[in-house]
Amino acid sequence: MKIEALGDRAIRFPRPSGPSARAIVAAAKTWPGVVDVVVTREDVAVYFEAAPSASSIDLGRIADLANARDEGPAPREHVLRVVYDGVDLEAVATATGLSIDEVIARHQAATYIVDTMGFAPGFAYLDGLDPALELPRRATPRERVPAGSVAIAGAQTAVYPTESPGGWHLIGRVVDVTMFDPTTGPLLALGDRVRFVA
Amino acid sequence: VRFTVERVIGLVTFQDLGHHGRMHLAVPPGGALVPELLVASNRRVDNADDATCLEVQGRVVIRATETNETFDVSSGPSRCAYLAVRGGFLAGHRPLAVGDVIASTTAPPTTVRVAQPRFADGESVTIIPGPDLDAFGADALTILVSAPYRISPASNRVGTRLEGPALPRRADYRERSRPMVQGALEVPRDGQPIALGPEHPTTGGYPVIGVIASAELGRFHAIRLGGSVQFRIAASRVTSSR
Repeated sequence: MKIEALGDRAIRFPRPSGPSARAIVAAAKTWPGVVDVVVTREDVAVYFEAAPSASSIDLGRIADLANARDEGPAPREHVLRVVYDGVDLEAVATATGLSIDEVIARHQAATYIVDTMGFAPGFAYLDGLDPALELPRRATPRERVPAGSVAIAGAQTAVYPTESPGGWHLIGRVVDVTMFDPTTGPLLALGDRVRFVA
Repeated sequence: VRFTVERVIGLVTFQDLGHHGRMHLAVPPGGALVPELLVASNRRVDNADDATCLEVQGRVVIRATETNETFDVSSGPSRCAYLAVRGGFLAGHRPLAVGDVIASTTAPPTTVRVAQPRFADGESVTIIPGPDLDAFGADALTILVSAPYRISPASNRVGTRLEGPALPRRADYRERSRPMVQGALEVPRDGQPIALGPEHPTTGGYPVIGVIASAELGRFHAIRLGGSVQFRIAASRVTSSR
Protein backbone atom coordinates (compact mmCIF):
# COMPACT_ATOMS: atom_id res chain seq x y z
CA MET A 1 0.00 0.00 0.00
CA LYS A 2 1.30 3.42 -0.87
CA ILE A 3 1.22 5.93 1.97
CA GLU A 4 1.90 9.48 0.88
CA ALA A 5 2.67 12.66 2.77
CA LEU A 6 -0.03 15.32 2.47
CA GLY A 7 2.20 18.00 3.91
CA ASP A 8 3.97 17.45 7.24
CA ARG A 9 0.88 16.82 9.39
CA ALA A 10 -1.24 14.49 7.26
CA ILE A 11 -0.95 11.28 5.30
CA ARG A 12 -3.03 9.95 2.43
CA PHE A 13 -3.54 6.35 1.37
CA PRO A 14 -6.03 4.37 -0.76
CA ARG A 15 -9.48 3.82 0.74
CA PRO A 16 -10.01 0.18 1.66
CA SER A 17 -12.96 -1.35 -0.14
CA GLY A 18 -15.70 -2.54 2.15
CA PRO A 19 -16.12 -0.33 5.19
CA SER A 20 -18.27 2.77 5.04
CA ALA A 21 -16.64 6.19 5.29
CA ARG A 22 -18.26 6.55 8.69
CA ALA A 23 -16.62 3.37 9.95
CA ILE A 24 -13.20 4.44 8.59
CA VAL A 25 -13.47 7.88 10.21
CA ALA A 26 -14.46 6.39 13.57
CA ALA A 27 -11.61 3.86 13.52
CA ALA A 28 -8.85 6.25 12.41
CA LYS A 29 -9.93 8.90 14.93
CA THR A 30 -8.92 6.53 17.74
CA TRP A 31 -5.27 6.55 16.61
CA PRO A 32 -2.89 8.55 18.83
CA GLY A 33 -2.48 12.18 17.81
CA VAL A 34 -5.18 12.12 15.12
CA VAL A 35 -7.42 15.19 14.97
CA ASP A 36 -9.29 14.70 11.71
CA VAL A 37 -10.03 12.15 9.00
CA VAL A 38 -11.35 12.75 5.49
CA VAL A 39 -12.63 9.92 3.31
CA THR A 40 -13.38 10.30 -0.38
CA ARG A 41 -14.43 7.66 -2.89
CA GLU A 42 -10.83 6.54 -3.46
CA ASP A 43 -8.70 8.00 -0.66
CA VAL A 44 -8.36 8.37 3.08
CA ALA A 45 -6.47 11.27 4.67
CA VAL A 46 -5.54 11.26 8.36
CA TYR A 47 -4.58 14.57 10.00
CA PHE A 48 -2.34 14.72 13.08
CA GLU A 49 -2.10 17.49 15.67
CA ALA A 50 1.66 17.66 15.14
CA ALA A 51 4.06 16.25 12.59
CA PRO A 52 3.78 12.46 12.96
CA SER A 53 6.97 10.53 13.54
CA ALA A 54 7.72 7.55 11.31
CA SER A 55 6.66 5.23 14.14
CA SER A 56 3.28 6.91 14.62
CA ILE A 57 2.36 5.95 11.06
CA ASP A 58 1.49 2.36 11.81
CA LEU A 59 1.14 0.23 8.71
CA GLY A 60 -0.66 -2.51 10.62
CA ARG A 61 -3.29 -0.09 11.87
CA ILE A 62 -3.77 1.28 8.38
CA ALA A 63 -4.22 -2.22 6.98
CA ASP A 64 -6.72 -2.98 9.76
CA LEU A 65 -9.00 -0.20 8.48
CA ALA A 66 -10.20 -2.69 5.87
CA ASN A 67 -11.98 -4.45 8.76
CA ALA A 68 -13.38 -1.31 10.37
CA ARG A 69 -16.94 -1.86 11.52
CA ASP A 70 -19.57 0.80 11.93
CA GLU A 71 -20.38 0.61 15.65
CA GLY A 72 -21.62 4.17 16.08
CA PRO A 73 -25.20 5.23 16.79
CA ALA A 74 -27.75 4.32 14.13
CA PRO A 75 -27.51 6.70 11.17
CA ARG A 76 -30.27 9.29 11.09
CA GLU A 77 -32.92 9.44 8.41
CA HIS A 78 -33.95 12.87 7.16
CA VAL A 79 -37.06 13.71 5.19
CA LEU A 80 -36.49 17.02 3.43
CA ARG A 81 -39.33 19.06 1.95
CA VAL A 82 -38.50 20.35 -1.52
CA VAL A 83 -40.07 22.89 -3.83
CA TYR A 84 -39.14 21.71 -7.30
CA ASP A 85 -38.71 25.05 -9.04
CA GLY A 86 -34.98 24.99 -9.88
CA VAL A 87 -33.73 27.05 -12.79
CA ASP A 88 -32.32 23.93 -14.49
CA LEU A 89 -35.38 21.71 -14.07
CA GLU A 90 -36.56 22.15 -17.64
CA ALA A 91 -33.05 21.65 -19.04
CA VAL A 92 -32.69 18.47 -16.99
CA ALA A 93 -35.98 17.18 -18.38
CA THR A 94 -34.84 17.94 -21.92
CA ALA A 95 -31.40 16.40 -21.45
CA THR A 96 -32.75 13.21 -19.88
CA GLY A 97 -35.69 12.88 -22.25
CA LEU A 98 -38.10 12.80 -19.31
CA SER A 99 -41.02 15.04 -18.47
CA ILE A 100 -40.57 17.50 -15.60
CA ASP A 101 -43.03 15.44 -13.53
CA GLU A 102 -41.00 12.29 -14.17
CA VAL A 103 -37.77 14.00 -13.14
CA ILE A 104 -39.40 15.04 -9.88
CA ALA A 105 -40.97 11.63 -9.30
CA ARG A 106 -37.71 9.80 -9.88
CA HIS A 107 -35.77 12.21 -7.65
CA GLN A 108 -38.28 11.62 -4.84
CA ALA A 109 -38.50 7.86 -5.27
CA ALA A 110 -35.03 7.04 -3.96
CA THR A 111 -33.63 6.87 -0.44
CA TYR A 112 -30.17 8.39 -0.57
CA ILE A 113 -27.18 7.73 1.62
CA VAL A 114 -24.35 10.08 2.58
CA ASP A 115 -21.08 8.34 1.80
CA THR A 116 -18.75 11.28 1.39
CA MET A 117 -18.72 14.95 2.37
CA GLY A 118 -16.58 17.72 0.97
CA PHE A 119 -16.43 20.80 -1.25
CA ALA A 120 -18.07 23.21 1.22
CA PRO A 121 -18.94 23.07 4.95
CA GLY A 122 -21.67 20.47 5.39
CA PHE A 123 -21.90 19.52 1.71
CA ALA A 124 -23.00 15.87 1.55
CA TYR A 125 -22.74 13.79 -1.60
CA LEU A 126 -25.92 11.69 -1.70
CA ASP A 127 -25.59 8.33 -3.44
CA GLY A 128 -28.56 6.56 -4.94
CA LEU A 129 -29.70 8.79 -7.79
CA ASP A 130 -31.88 7.14 -10.42
CA PRO A 131 -29.53 6.38 -13.36
CA ALA A 132 -32.04 7.99 -15.72
CA LEU A 133 -31.21 11.34 -14.08
CA GLU A 134 -27.44 11.08 -14.50
CA LEU A 135 -25.96 14.09 -16.30
CA PRO A 136 -22.47 15.55 -16.49
CA ARG A 137 -21.91 18.76 -14.53
CA ARG A 138 -22.72 22.06 -16.20
CA ALA A 139 -20.00 23.15 -18.62
CA THR A 140 -19.65 26.45 -16.75
CA PRO A 141 -20.20 26.52 -13.00
CA ARG A 142 -22.40 29.26 -11.54
CA GLU A 143 -20.62 31.79 -9.37
CA ARG A 144 -23.44 31.76 -6.85
CA VAL A 145 -25.81 28.97 -5.95
CA PRO A 146 -28.23 29.88 -3.14
CA ALA A 147 -28.13 27.98 0.15
CA GLY A 148 -30.72 25.19 0.19
CA SER A 149 -30.59 24.51 -3.56
CA VAL A 150 -31.30 20.88 -4.46
CA ALA A 151 -29.09 19.77 -7.30
CA ILE A 152 -28.00 16.75 -9.30
CA ALA A 153 -24.78 15.84 -11.14
CA GLY A 154 -23.30 12.54 -12.19
CA ALA A 155 -24.74 9.72 -10.10
CA GLN A 156 -25.41 11.95 -7.10
CA THR A 157 -27.72 14.55 -5.68
CA ALA A 158 -27.00 17.16 -2.99
CA VAL A 159 -28.36 20.16 -1.13
CA TYR A 160 -26.06 23.20 -1.15
CA PRO A 161 -25.73 23.94 2.60
CA THR A 162 -24.45 27.50 2.14
CA GLU A 163 -24.29 29.94 -0.73
CA SER A 164 -21.34 28.95 -2.88
CA PRO A 165 -20.20 28.56 -6.47
CA GLY A 166 -21.50 25.37 -8.05
CA GLY A 167 -21.61 23.38 -11.24
CA TRP A 168 -24.53 21.05 -10.51
CA HIS A 169 -27.99 21.23 -12.10
CA LEU A 170 -30.45 23.05 -9.83
CA ILE A 171 -33.82 21.33 -9.69
CA GLY A 172 -35.35 22.77 -6.51
CA ARG A 173 -34.82 24.03 -2.98
CA VAL A 174 -35.44 22.67 0.49
CA VAL A 175 -37.86 24.51 2.77
CA ASP A 176 -38.19 24.75 6.56
CA VAL A 177 -34.71 23.41 7.23
CA THR A 178 -31.21 24.79 7.86
CA MET A 179 -28.58 22.63 6.22
CA PHE A 180 -25.62 24.31 7.92
CA ASP A 181 -25.58 26.24 11.17
CA PRO A 182 -22.22 27.83 12.05
CA THR A 183 -22.71 26.98 15.73
CA THR A 184 -24.15 23.48 15.64
CA GLY A 185 -22.67 22.41 12.30
CA PRO A 186 -24.16 20.51 9.37
CA LEU A 187 -27.56 18.81 9.39
CA LEU A 188 -26.27 15.81 7.44
CA ALA A 189 -23.51 13.46 8.55
CA LEU A 190 -21.73 10.46 7.06
CA GLY A 191 -24.00 7.44 6.90
CA ASP A 192 -27.24 9.42 7.15
CA ARG A 193 -30.15 8.56 4.89
CA VAL A 194 -32.14 11.21 3.06
CA ARG A 195 -35.49 11.25 1.31
CA PHE A 196 -37.06 14.17 -0.52
CA VAL A 197 -40.77 14.98 -0.48
CA ALA A 198 -42.62 17.77 -2.26
CA VAL B 1 -17.23 45.90 27.17
CA ARG B 2 -19.42 46.64 24.17
CA PHE B 3 -18.25 48.18 20.94
CA THR B 4 -20.17 49.65 18.03
CA VAL B 5 -18.77 48.98 14.58
CA GLU B 6 -18.52 52.36 12.89
CA ARG B 7 -16.62 51.58 9.75
CA VAL B 8 -15.66 48.46 7.77
CA ILE B 9 -13.58 48.34 4.62
CA GLY B 10 -12.72 44.91 3.28
CA LEU B 11 -13.28 41.82 5.41
CA VAL B 12 -13.26 41.86 9.20
CA THR B 13 -14.01 38.58 10.98
CA PHE B 14 -13.79 37.00 14.42
CA GLN B 15 -10.96 34.48 14.52
CA ASP B 16 -9.14 32.23 16.94
CA LEU B 17 -6.67 29.41 16.32
CA GLY B 18 -9.25 27.24 14.55
CA HIS B 19 -10.90 23.97 15.49
CA HIS B 20 -10.08 20.51 14.22
CA GLY B 21 -12.43 17.56 14.39
CA ARG B 22 -15.16 18.24 11.82
CA MET B 23 -13.31 17.77 8.52
CA HIS B 24 -15.23 14.52 7.92
CA LEU B 25 -18.33 16.75 7.80
CA ALA B 26 -16.59 18.96 5.23
CA VAL B 27 -15.92 21.66 7.84
CA PRO B 28 -12.30 22.90 7.66
CA PRO B 29 -10.44 23.98 10.82
CA GLY B 30 -10.67 27.71 10.04
CA GLY B 31 -8.83 30.13 12.30
CA ALA B 32 -6.47 33.03 11.79
CA LEU B 33 -4.56 33.44 8.54
CA VAL B 34 -1.49 34.32 10.63
CA PRO B 35 -1.83 32.45 13.95
CA GLU B 36 1.48 33.86 15.27
CA LEU B 37 0.08 37.39 15.10
CA LEU B 38 -3.20 36.46 16.74
CA VAL B 39 -1.20 34.94 19.60
CA ALA B 40 1.04 38.02 19.80
CA SER B 41 -1.89 40.42 20.06
CA ASN B 42 -3.58 38.21 22.66
CA ARG B 43 -0.43 38.13 24.79
CA ARG B 44 -0.23 41.92 24.79
CA VAL B 45 -3.54 42.03 26.67
CA ASP B 46 -2.76 38.99 28.86
CA ASN B 47 -5.29 36.77 27.09
CA ALA B 48 -5.05 33.05 26.49
CA ASP B 49 -3.29 32.46 23.17
CA ASP B 50 -6.45 31.29 21.44
CA ALA B 51 -8.84 34.05 22.60
CA THR B 52 -11.05 35.44 19.86
CA CYS B 53 -9.66 38.50 18.03
CA LEU B 54 -10.75 40.55 15.07
CA GLU B 55 -8.89 39.64 11.89
CA VAL B 56 -8.77 42.80 9.80
CA GLN B 57 -8.20 42.51 6.07
CA GLY B 58 -8.77 46.14 5.25
CA ARG B 59 -9.86 48.56 7.92
CA VAL B 60 -12.21 48.68 10.87
CA VAL B 61 -13.23 51.40 13.29
CA ILE B 62 -14.93 50.36 16.54
CA ARG B 63 -16.08 52.55 19.42
CA ALA B 64 -16.35 51.40 23.01
CA THR B 65 -19.90 52.35 24.01
CA GLU B 66 -19.09 53.01 27.69
CA THR B 67 -16.03 55.19 27.20
CA ASN B 68 -16.51 56.50 23.67
CA GLU B 69 -12.93 55.53 22.93
CA THR B 70 -12.48 54.63 19.27
CA PHE B 71 -10.05 52.12 17.79
CA ASP B 72 -9.12 52.43 14.14
CA VAL B 73 -7.20 49.48 12.73
CA SER B 74 -5.93 49.22 9.20
CA SER B 75 -4.11 46.20 7.79
CA GLY B 76 -2.46 48.02 4.91
CA PRO B 77 0.05 47.55 3.47
CA SER B 78 0.06 44.05 5.04
CA ARG B 79 -2.48 41.35 4.25
CA CYS B 80 -4.03 41.35 7.70
CA ALA B 81 -3.85 42.69 11.23
CA TYR B 82 -5.24 41.39 14.52
CA LEU B 83 -7.09 43.39 17.13
CA ALA B 84 -7.22 41.85 20.59
CA VAL B 85 -9.26 43.11 23.52
CA ARG B 86 -8.63 42.11 27.11
CA GLY B 87 -10.71 38.98 27.79
CA GLY B 88 -11.25 38.28 24.10
CA PHE B 89 -14.29 38.96 21.96
CA LEU B 90 -17.50 36.98 22.13
CA ALA B 91 -17.29 35.31 18.75
CA GLY B 92 -19.83 35.86 16.02
CA HIS B 93 -20.05 33.92 12.79
CA ARG B 94 -20.67 36.68 10.26
CA PRO B 95 -18.17 39.24 8.99
CA LEU B 96 -18.55 42.55 10.78
CA ALA B 97 -20.87 45.15 9.28
CA VAL B 98 -21.34 48.81 10.16
CA GLY B 99 -23.80 49.17 13.04
CA ASP B 100 -23.02 45.78 14.59
CA VAL B 101 -22.58 45.80 18.35
CA ILE B 102 -19.86 43.41 19.46
CA ALA B 103 -18.70 42.61 22.96
CA SER B 104 -15.70 41.42 24.90
CA THR B 105 -16.02 38.98 27.77
CA THR B 106 -14.80 41.41 30.45
CA ALA B 107 -15.88 44.61 32.15
CA PRO B 108 -14.06 47.95 31.60
CA PRO B 109 -11.38 49.24 31.58
CA THR B 110 -10.93 48.52 27.90
CA THR B 111 -7.52 47.33 26.77
CA VAL B 112 -7.03 46.93 23.06
CA ARG B 113 -3.87 45.91 21.22
CA VAL B 114 -3.07 45.29 17.60
CA ALA B 115 -0.53 43.03 15.98
CA GLN B 116 0.36 43.37 12.36
CA PRO B 117 2.95 41.68 10.20
CA ARG B 118 5.89 43.74 9.09
CA PHE B 119 5.65 44.59 5.41
CA ALA B 120 6.41 41.10 4.14
CA ASP B 121 7.48 40.43 0.59
CA GLY B 122 9.75 38.06 -1.30
CA GLU B 123 9.62 35.58 1.58
CA SER B 124 11.08 32.14 1.05
CA VAL B 125 8.63 29.36 1.98
CA THR B 126 9.24 25.60 2.17
CA ILE B 127 7.16 23.12 0.19
CA ILE B 128 6.81 19.43 1.00
CA PRO B 129 6.49 17.79 -2.44
CA GLY B 130 3.47 15.75 -3.50
CA PRO B 131 1.31 13.83 -3.09
CA ASP B 132 0.18 14.17 -6.73
CA LEU B 133 3.52 14.50 -8.52
CA ASP B 134 2.31 11.92 -11.06
CA ALA B 135 -0.09 14.59 -12.36
CA PHE B 136 2.75 16.84 -13.49
CA GLY B 137 5.56 16.96 -15.99
CA ALA B 138 8.90 15.76 -14.63
CA ASP B 139 10.29 19.31 -14.37
CA ALA B 140 7.30 20.80 -12.49
CA LEU B 141 9.06 21.04 -9.09
CA THR B 142 12.07 22.69 -10.76
CA ILE B 143 9.74 25.21 -12.36
CA LEU B 144 7.97 25.83 -9.03
CA VAL B 145 11.22 27.03 -7.42
CA SER B 146 12.61 28.70 -10.55
CA ALA B 147 11.09 32.13 -9.91
CA PRO B 148 8.89 33.94 -7.38
CA TYR B 149 5.10 33.74 -7.56
CA ARG B 150 2.94 36.83 -7.09
CA ILE B 151 0.19 36.78 -4.45
CA SER B 152 -2.92 37.68 -6.45
CA PRO B 153 -5.23 40.34 -4.98
CA ALA B 154 -8.07 37.89 -5.80
CA SER B 155 -6.94 35.77 -2.82
CA ASN B 156 -9.16 35.16 0.20
CA ARG B 157 -9.43 32.94 3.29
CA VAL B 158 -10.39 29.97 1.10
CA GLY B 159 -7.30 30.16 -1.05
CA THR B 160 -4.38 32.30 -2.11
CA ARG B 161 -4.08 32.55 -5.86
CA LEU B 162 -0.52 32.54 -7.14
CA GLU B 163 0.70 33.94 -10.44
CA GLY B 164 4.00 32.81 -11.93
CA PRO B 165 5.63 30.17 -14.08
CA ALA B 166 2.92 27.72 -15.22
CA LEU B 167 3.31 24.22 -13.77
CA PRO B 168 2.91 21.69 -16.58
CA ARG B 169 0.06 19.23 -16.01
CA ARG B 170 0.02 15.81 -17.63
CA ALA B 171 -2.97 15.33 -19.91
CA ASP B 172 -3.61 11.82 -18.60
CA TYR B 173 -4.17 12.73 -14.92
CA ARG B 174 -7.68 11.69 -13.92
CA GLU B 175 -9.22 14.46 -11.81
CA ARG B 176 -11.33 13.23 -8.90
CA SER B 177 -12.27 14.54 -5.49
CA ARG B 178 -9.46 13.86 -3.02
CA PRO B 179 -8.77 14.97 0.57
CA MET B 180 -7.19 18.41 0.94
CA VAL B 181 -5.21 20.18 3.66
CA GLN B 182 -4.44 23.78 4.52
CA GLY B 183 -1.34 24.89 2.62
CA ALA B 184 -1.86 22.48 -0.28
CA LEU B 185 -0.87 23.91 -3.66
CA GLU B 186 -3.72 22.78 -5.90
CA VAL B 187 -2.98 23.22 -9.58
CA PRO B 188 -5.80 23.74 -12.11
CA ARG B 189 -5.18 23.07 -15.78
CA ASP B 190 -3.86 26.58 -16.37
CA GLY B 191 -0.86 25.66 -14.20
CA GLN B 192 -1.25 28.58 -11.75
CA PRO B 193 -1.29 27.16 -8.19
CA ILE B 194 -3.83 27.98 -5.49
CA ALA B 195 -2.60 27.67 -1.88
CA LEU B 196 -5.47 26.50 0.32
CA GLY B 197 -6.26 28.72 3.31
CA PRO B 198 -8.08 28.21 6.64
CA GLU B 199 -11.55 28.01 5.02
CA HIS B 200 -10.44 25.54 2.35
CA PRO B 201 -12.69 22.89 0.83
CA THR B 202 -11.89 19.62 2.59
CA THR B 203 -11.88 17.85 -0.77
CA GLY B 204 -10.76 19.06 -4.17
CA GLY B 205 -10.31 17.81 -7.70
CA TYR B 206 -7.09 19.50 -8.77
CA PRO B 207 -3.79 17.68 -8.19
CA VAL B 208 -1.54 18.87 -5.36
CA ILE B 209 2.08 19.49 -6.36
CA GLY B 210 3.15 20.20 -2.80
CA VAL B 211 2.08 21.46 0.61
CA ILE B 212 3.49 24.46 2.48
CA ALA B 213 5.34 23.39 5.65
CA SER B 214 2.87 23.86 8.51
CA ALA B 215 5.32 25.95 10.57
CA GLU B 216 5.66 28.43 7.67
CA LEU B 217 2.00 28.77 6.75
CA GLY B 218 1.45 31.86 8.89
CA ARG B 219 4.51 33.53 7.39
CA PHE B 220 3.17 32.73 3.91
CA HIS B 221 -0.24 34.21 4.74
CA ALA B 222 1.40 37.35 6.11
CA ILE B 223 2.76 38.26 2.67
CA ARG B 224 0.86 41.25 1.37
CA LEU B 225 -1.50 40.90 -1.60
CA GLY B 226 0.49 41.83 -4.69
CA GLY B 227 3.71 40.75 -2.98
CA SER B 228 5.67 37.69 -3.92
CA VAL B 229 6.85 34.38 -2.52
CA GLN B 230 9.84 32.25 -3.44
CA PHE B 231 9.26 28.53 -2.89
CA ARG B 232 11.97 26.07 -1.94
CA ILE B 233 11.68 22.30 -1.71
CA ALA B 234 12.04 20.38 1.55
CA ALA B 235 13.82 17.08 1.60
CA SER B 236 11.20 14.38 1.02
CA ARG B 237 10.12 12.28 4.01
CA VAL B 238 7.31 10.17 5.49
CA THR B 239 6.49 8.37 2.22
CA SER B 240 6.73 4.63 2.58
CA SER B 241 5.35 1.64 0.78
CA ARG B 242 5.16 -2.08 1.04
